Amino acid sequence: MGTAPASRDVTSYGMGLAAPLALFFLVFFVAPLLQLLWLSLHNDTAALHWGLGQYLHFLTDPFSLSVLGSTLLLGAEVTAVCLVLGFPIAWLYQRVGPRLQTIIILIVLLPLLTSVVVRTFAWIVILGRQGIINATLQSLGIIDTPLKLLYTQFGVVIALAQVQMPLMTLPLITALGRIDPNLDDASCSLGAGSWRTFFRIVLPLSLPGVIAGCTLTYAAAITAFITQSLIGGGQMLFMPMYLYQQASTLQNWPFASAISIIFLLAVLAVVSVFTTLGRMSRGYGGA
Amino acid sequence: MILNRRSLMTTALTLGAMKAFPGLSYAQARPLVFATFTGSWEEAHKAVLVPAFRKANADAAIVLDPMLSVDQIAKINAAKANPPIDVMLHDPGPALVAIGQDLAEPYPVEKSAYYKDLISEAQEPMGPAPFFQVVGLTYNPEAIKTPPTSWADLWKPEFKGRVGITNLNSTLGTGWLVEIAKMRGGSEANVDPAFKAIEELKPNLAAVAANPGALATLFQQGQIDISPGNFNAIQILKARGVPVEFVAPKEGAIAFKTTIHIVKNSPNRELAFKLIEASLSPEVQTTLMNPPYLIVPTNSKVAMGGEIARVLAKDTTELKQKFVFQDWKKINEQRSAWIERFNREIKI
Repeated sequence: MGTAPASRDVTSYGMGLAAPLALFFLVFFVAPLLQLLWLSLHNDTAALHWGLGQYLHFLTDPFSLSVLGSTLLLGAEVTAVCLVLGFPIAWLYQRVGPRLQTIIILIVLLPLLTSVVVRTFAWIVILGRQGIINATLQSLGIIDTPLKLLYTQFGVVIALAQVQMPLMTLPLITALGRIDPNLDDASCSLGAGSWRTFFRIVLPLSLPGVIAGCTLTYAAAITAFITQSLIGGGQMLFMPMYLYQQASTLQNWPFASAISIIFLLAVLAVVSVFTTLGRMSRGYGGA
Repeated sequence: MILNRRSLMTTALTLGAMKAFPGLSYAQARPLVFATFTGSWEEAHKAVLVPAFRKANADAAIVLDPMLSVDQIAKINAAKANPPIDVMLHDPGPALVAIGQDLAEPYPVEKSAYYKDLISEAQEPMGPAPFFQVVGLTYNPEAIKTPPTSWADLWKPEFKGRVGITNLNSTLGTGWLVEIAKMRGGSEANVDPAFKAIEELKPNLAAVAANPGALATLFQQGQIDISPGNFNAIQILKARGVPVEFVAPKEGAIAFKTTIHIVKNSPNRELAFKLIEASLSPEVQTTLMNPPYLIVPTNSKVAMGGEIARVLAKDTTELKQKFVFQDWKKINEQRSAWIERFNREIKI
C-alpha cells in the first residue's frame, strides 16, 4: 500500500463505485451473451461444426423473416397507441391541481403494481367471447354474434398498450414538466393558436421524453412473451415464442441462439434510430 | 502451538472450503435428488411417493427438485460426470432425447420386484413408466348436451367457432396431430392428412392455444366448448367447479408414458432404484389412482376404481383396448419439421 496522493482526481471515484455492478454485468450478462454468440456460430445442434448456417437459414427463410417483421411491426403499433393515448394524460397532469395530479399518477402507476400475468388474464376476461366488450355490445343490440377479439393482432396490441402504458407516460410527464409554462403564454400572446403552439413549442420541447418513452415501450412490447402468447395464442408467432419453441421444444440451441442474436441486433437498430432522433431533438431542447 | 496470522488464515480457508464444497469431505453425502414435474405432479409425489420411499428405506434423505423435462436434460448435460439429479421423469419425446444423449442408466430389471407386473407398454428397459397420461376429448356439458364420441366430432358444423386446439410445442398437441393423421389414413411417419384435416377444421377453430394450460383458461372464459384435453388437467378444473367433462373417443384415448429413469453416473444409484421401485409398487399406484390425484396406474396388480374406472377403463385388459400408444421414436424424427409447418400453415 502506497501513501495516498495529496490531491486526487475526484472523477476517478466514479469508476470504483460502478465496479460491483460492472462485474455483475460482466459475469451474468456479457459472458452468457458471448456464449450465446459462440453457440449461434455452429451448424449442428451438438455445436461441433463451426459455420454461419443458422444465420443463413434465418435470413434466407421468408417465414422467419416474416416473424421478425411482424414482431417489429407489433412493437411499432403498440408504441404508437401508447404515445397517442399517453401524451394527453401527461399533458393533463401538468395542468391540473395537486389533488388530481395524485390521482393521475396513481392511475398511471397502478398497472405497474400488479403482475403482468394478472393484467394479461384480465384482458382475456375483457376480450373473450363472453367478455365485457362482447357482452356489452350484444346487450346494446349492436352485434348479434360475439366479435373475435381474443387471439387477434388487435387484441395483442390493445392489451400490450395497456400493460406497457406507464413506460410511456412517466417519461412524458417528466419531460412536459420541464417546459416553462410561460412559453405557452408567450406563444399565444404572439398570435399563435393552440394547435400551432402545441406543434411548434410543446411537442418539440417534449421530444426527449417522447423518445425515451418510445424506446422503453418498444423494447418492452416486442419482448413481452407472456402477453403475446396468452392474448395472441399459439398461431400468432412472434420472436420470443419462436425462440422458446426452438430452444425448449426442439432443443435446437444453435438456431435459437442465432434467432436471439438477430433479434437483439434488430432491436438495437430500432433503438439506435430512436437515439439518433433523440440527439437531433436535443437541438430543440437546448434552444 | 503458535498461532500466527498465516496459519489462522489457512485454517479458516480450509474450514470455509469444506463448508462451501461439502463434496471434498464426504464423497457421497448428498441426498437423493428426484426431478419431478411442477404443479400437481409435485404435490402428488410429495404426499404419496416420498413418504412411501422413506418408510421402506429407513428415512433416507430425498429432495424433490421439480422442473421441466428440458431443464432436467440441460442440467444433467452440464455436469455429466457428477450429475446434480439422480432420478428424472420424462414425457415420451424428451425421454428419447435423454436416452439418445446417453443420460439414462439401464433399469436393473432383474433386480426389480415390480417390473414384470407392469403392463407390457410400460416395460421400458431404459426406464419404466410408473404412470400414464391420457388425452381425450374435453367438452363443456352446459353448452354441449350430447357428449362427443369421436375425434371426428370436432369437425361437426354445430361447433363452428367453438373448438380449441394447442400448437405442437406440447406433447398433447403433437400426439393429437398424429392421432388425427391416423384417423384419416396417415401414421407417425405421415401426418399430411392431419394438416389437411386441420385446414378443414379452421371454420370451427376458436383458438389455437400456446400450451395445454391455456386451454383451461379458454374453457373457463367460455371462449371454447370442446377441445382435446389431458385427463388429469380436466380433473383439476372440475374440482374447481368449471363445467368440463372428459370422454375417451371411440378411436381410443391417447396414452403417454411418463417414464422414470436412473441418471447415468448418479452417486445414489441404489437409492434411485429404490425410489423407482416405490413408484412402481401397487401400494403407491393405488393411492395415486384415488382422488384427488386420479393418476392412471401401470401396474397390472392395481385394481382400477373410481373416476378412472368410470371414464377410462375398468381393468388392464380394457385399458389396453381403449388406449392408443404412439411411436415417439418416429414422431421425434420429424417433429421439428411439423412444428415448422404448423407455424407456417395454421393461421386463423
